[in-house]
Amino acid sequence: MADSGESLRMTPRPISGGSTTEAELPVPGVAWPARVARSESPLAQGVRRFRRSTTALVGAAIVVGLVLVALFADALAPRSPIASDQTRTFARPSWDYPLGTDQLGRDMLSRVIHGSRISLAVGVSSVLLALFVGVPFGMIAGYYGGRVDAVVMRAMDLILAFPIYLLAIILMVIFTPTAGLIGTMKVTAAIAIVRIPIYARLVRGSVLSIKEKEYIEACHALGVRDPLILVRHVLPNCLAPIIVTTTLGIATSIIVEATLSFLGLGTQPPTPSWGWDLKANVAFIQATPWLSLFPGLAIFVTVLGFNLFGDGLRDALDPRLK
Amino acid sequence: MRTYILKRILGVVPTVLMITLVVFVMMRSVPGDPVVPLLGDAYTEEDAIKVREAYGLNKPVLVQYAIWLGKLVQGDWGTSILSGRPVLQDVLVRLPVTLELVVLSMGVALVIAIPAAIIGALRRNTWADYTATSVAMIGVSIPEFFTGVLLLLFFSVGLGGLLPSSGWVYLPGTCPMMVCGVSLWGNLQHVLMPAIALGIGRAALLTRLLRTSMLEVIRTEYVTTARAKGLAERPVVLKHALKNALIPTVTVMGLQVGFLIGGAIVVETLFAMPGLGTFGIDAIIGRDYQQVQGFALVTALAFVAINLIVDLTYTFLDPRIRYA
Repeated sequence: MADSGESLRMTPRPISGGSTTEAELPVPGVAWPARVARSESPLAQGVRRFRRSTTALVGAAIVVGLVLVALFADALAPRSPIASDQTRTFARPSWDYPLGTDQLGRDMLSRVIHGSRISLAVGVSSVLLALFVGVPFGMIAGYYGGRVDAVVMRAMDLILAFPIYLLAIILMVIFTPTAGLIGTMKVTAAIAIVRIPIYARLVRGSVLSIKEKEYIEACHALGVRDPLILVRHVLPNCLAPIIVTTTLGIATSIIVEATLSFLGLGTQPPTPSWGWDLKANVAFIQATPWLSLFPGLAIFVTVLGFNLFGDGLRDALDPRLK
Repeated sequence: MRTYILKRILGVVPTVLMITLVVFVMMRSVPGDPVVPLLGDAYTEEDAIKVREAYGLNKPVLVQYAIWLGKLVQGDWGTSILSGRPVLQDVLVRLPVTLELVVLSMGVALVIAIPAAIIGALRRNTWADYTATSVAMIGVSIPEFFTGVLLLLFFSVGLGGLLPSSGWVYLPGTCPMMVCGVSLWGNLQHVLMPAIALGIGRAALLTRLLRTSMLEVIRTEYVTTARAKGLAERPVVLKHALKNALIPTVTVMGLQVGFLIGGAIVVETLFAMPGLGTFGIDAIIGRDYQQVQGFALVTALAFVAINLIVDLTYTFLDPRIRYA
C-alpha cells in the first residue's frame, strides 16, 4: 500500500482549501492517497502498527473466525446442540461425532459450536453495557468535578470495594439463573454491573487532563455548550484507552461468564454454554476425558484471541500504555 | 509507622461495614422464602411465621443487620439456621485450607514469574523472551478451572491416579474434627494441583507486568550508574532493578484480590476441597443468611488486609516511601 501511495503523491494537491473530498478531485475515479507519510493521521499510524504485529493479526483472525462461527452456528453445527439421543451416550470421537457425545447423547461438536454464541454475546454485550453506563458517568464526573464528581465516584468506589466474583455471584443468585435469551441477559447484566466502575474511573482520569487543554478553553471562549464539548472534543481524545480496555475487557468478561457457568450460575441448560459443559463433563473425567477438554479449549482459544487482539490494539493505538 | 497501621486498621472499618451491609441487603432480596428449606414442602403459614419470629427474620432488614452487628462485636458470628452450627466455628475450620491454597499458589506464581520476567527483560527480543511472553500470554488466557482440568487429565487420568482428584487431607495439627485424614505427604498430594491451577494464572499476569516494568527500570540512570561503578550483574538486577520494578507490580497484584477470591472458589469447587470458597458458594446458593454474612465478612477482611499488606510492602521495596 505504501508503494502505491508513493506514486499517487505526484498528483498535485489543491492549493487552497483543506477539503479533499472526491467531488473536488481533478481526475474522476482517482482517490487521494489516504495516507501521506508527512501528515499520517494517528488512526492510520495505529493501523500500520497493528498490521505489522503478527500476534495482533493472529488475535484478529481468531476473533473474526469466532464471530463467524457464532453467526453461522446453525449452518456449521452438524446436529442440534440440545437434541439428546439416549442410544448414543458417551460416544467416542468418530467420523459421525467428531468430538463424541455427552451423557445425554448430545453431539459435543455442535454444543461447542453453539456455545460460542453465549460466550461472545455475553462477553461483548456486557462490556458494551458497562461502557455505555460507565463512560458518561466518568465524563460527567471528571468534567464537572466538585460535588457531582464526589457522588458519582463514591458510588463507583462502592462497587469497586467488592471482590468482583462475590458481587457477580450474589447478583446472579438474586437474578435467578435461567435458560435461553433471558438467562443470557441476566448474566450480561451481572457482569456489566461489576465492570461499570472500571470505565468510569478510566474516563474520569483522561477527562481530568483533557479539560485543562487549550482547545477546550477555546471551545468555552467560542461559547460551545458543554454537551457538545464533551461529545465532540473530550470523548474522541480519551477513546484510545477506552478501546483497548474494552477489547481486553471482553476477554475478562468471557472468563467471568465461563466461571459463573462453571459454578452453575450462568445461562442454564439446555442452552449450550462452555463453562456449564466443562463442569458437567468433569464428573466423567476418568471415563471420557476428552469431553471436558473441548469446551475448555474453546474458552481458552476465545480468550486468547481477544487478549492478543487487545494487546495489538494497545500497542497500535496507544504506545505509551505498553 | 505504628500510628499509620493503626490509622489504616481504623480506616478498614467503614469498608468492612459497607461490604457486609450491602451483602446483607442483597441476600435478603433474593427471591423465595428462606424458611422453606428448613420446614420442608409441607408446612403451614403459622409454622413459617413462628420460625421467622424465632430467627428475627420478620424484623426490618436494617434492624436485622444492626442485631447481627451487635452480636458480632461480642464475638458471636451467628448460628446457621440451616445447619445449626455456629458460623465462626465453620469459618475457622475452613480458613486454613483456603489460606494454604492461596499462599502456595502465590508461591507458585512468584517462583515462575520472577525468573521468567527477569529473563524476558534482560534478554529482550531473544527466543527466551519470546518463549516467556508467549507462555505468559497463554497463561493469562486460561481460566483457573481449565488449568485444573488439564492437570486432572494429566496427573489423575493420564498418569493413572498419581495425584488425587478430589478431597482433602489435613496438615498435622490442623485437624478440625474428631477424626480426619492427617499427613504431610497426603496434604501435599491434595494441595499440589489446586495450588498450581490457581498459581499459573497469577504467574502469567505477574510475568507480563514485571517484565514491562523491568524493561523500564533497567533503562534508568541509577541502573547504568550501578553497572558503571563495577557492580556485578546479579546485585544490579536483583537489588537495584527488581525491587523497583516490583512496586507497580505489587499494586496490580493487590487489585487482583477480587479475582483471586473467585479463583479460590472455582478451584476449591473443582477439586472438592473443604475450604472457604466452597463454603461461600454453597452458602450463597443455599441462601444460608448467617453463613453468607460470615463469608462476606472474611472476604471483606481479607480484601482490606491484602491492600494494607500491599501498602506496607512499598516501604520494604522502596525505603523512600514512609508512612508517618
